[in-house]
Amino acid sequence: MSKNTNQKSISATLATATCALLGGTIAAPVDAQEEPAWDFNTSLLYYGEDNDRVQDASISMLARRTFYDDRALTMGLTIDALTGATPNGGIKQNTPQTFTRPSGNDVFTTPANTLPLDDTFRDTRVAVNASWQQPLGRLYTFNVGASASKEYDYLHLGANAKISRDFNKRNTTVSAGLAFAADSIDPEGGAPTPLTPMLDVDDLSNRLGEQDKDIVDLVFGVTQVISRNLVVQANYSFSDSSGYLNDPFKIVAVVDGVTGDVIPRTPPSGDVGPSHEYIFESRPDTRTKHSLYGQAKYYMAGKVLDASYRYMTDDWDIDSHTVDLRYRWPINDKHYLEPHLRFYTQTTADFYRVGVVDGDPLPSHATHDYRLGEFDAITAGLKYGWETRNGNEMSVRLEVYQQRGSIPADRLIGNQVGLVQYPDLDAVIFQYSYRFGR
Amino acid sequence: MKKLIAVGLLALCAGCSSMGVEPWDRDVLAKAEMQLTTDALEAATDDHIYFSKEASSGGRGFGGGGCGCN
Repeated sequence: MSKNTNQKSISATLATATCALLGGTIAAPVDAQEEPAWDFNTSLLYYGEDNDRVQDASISMLARRTFYDDRALTMGLTIDALTGATPNGGIKQNTPQTFTRPSGNDVFTTPANTLPLDDTFRDTRVAVNASWQQPLGRLYTFNVGASASKEYDYLHLGANAKISRDFNKRNTTVSAGLAFAADSIDPEGGAPTPLTPMLDVDDLSNRLGEQDKDIVDLVFGVTQVISRNLVVQANYSFSDSSGYLNDPFKIVAVVDGVTGDVIPRTPPSGDVGPSHEYIFESRPDTRTKHSLYGQAKYYMAGKVLDASYRYMTDDWDIDSHTVDLRYRWPINDKHYLEPHLRFYTQTTADFYRVGVVDGDPLPSHATHDYRLGEFDAITAGLKYGWETRNGNEMSVRLEVYQQRGSIPADRLIGNQVGLVQYPDLDAVIFQYSYRFGR
Repeated sequence: MKKLIAVGLLALCAGCSSMGVEPWDRDVLAKAEMQLTTDALEAATDDHIYFSKEASSGGRGFGGGGCGCN
């Protein structure tokens, strides 16, 4: 008999004797630990915008392996195939407009009274991430992770770490996280020098080549169990971006100070190039954002309400509010419906403008990227989830996303009034998910 | 107004004193649908979509980088 078995046998005898003395029975030990297991979460996504704008087909997988002692490894993979057209920052005119493509190797023409869209938008994105969760002592949990993604002209590398501590019988959890990302962009033809003119085909003299940006994120959070049916979370996050923060494909029109029309130009004889004057956008090379986020989950006799709110403010003068509501509504033991509503509103960046005035000194920053404009957005959707015969989970969800924007009247000149509008967006999101364990 | 603040503070304190549950009362909180992030993949998908289309990101977690779309 080994020493171990001997010890076990002595312990068992002692336990039996104690129980006999107390007149009780031996209770099975409570095993609070998760059994080591794999959990796979897979999904297919279609995201499509109206008017032949961006379409994305995507496949994702998240695999989580749990070990004893609450340790866990999570690995994720996403592959996106993107096509479609996107507003290039130009404005509608009563005449056709010809633009040099961002690559500098061709031109395209937008008909009169049409929003200029760059239709060369085509990319495949592969993103991977991994994280490790490790308890430290009884009350602390440590997470460390890394992420990377690659597009044709973009590379992202990131690392993150998070520590959390439980208090108050684990009813309160306080956490702090830090993430760092080093991204680089190398568009075909090179990233343009901000505020320089769009040039003729094959003239790449104002290109900078590859450019970088760094992002540091800090998140501090508190999660509090309020009652048996209610848990809430509050986060403060800080984000600092620095480097080349421009969208290298976005331009700003050079306009007449009275009529507001884009200034026409004629390419030198023998050259092919833009029909009007445009400059590449310029954003500040730093951006600091602060966010406050609150979330509550409330259980009501089988139904679950998930409500969250986020306030964001940054030093580009953008403020935003987001409200997100989900209501999980079981139909029976194995099927549920989940309606989803999301409301979003943002103010415009202080350097957002329809065009720069010809002859005036150039502003230090200018963009006509609609995403930095003033708009409201609504998402409405419905998810249907069910448990399969072998105990796995499937769900489908269909959502519509709508952006409605406006351009402040004081930023429109002459003929732009009535002609230049915010490029409203309607999109549909369809996702199928399958979750299974091993 | 003062009364309202007093009542509010009282309610808040009453709330604090009964905040949290005993470990054996965690049956509901332990349910998968009561986790703060129920579907990590769906949450990541949404974060990515809105990051690409709006000027805000993050809040729930880290918000930075990872895409040439913004």
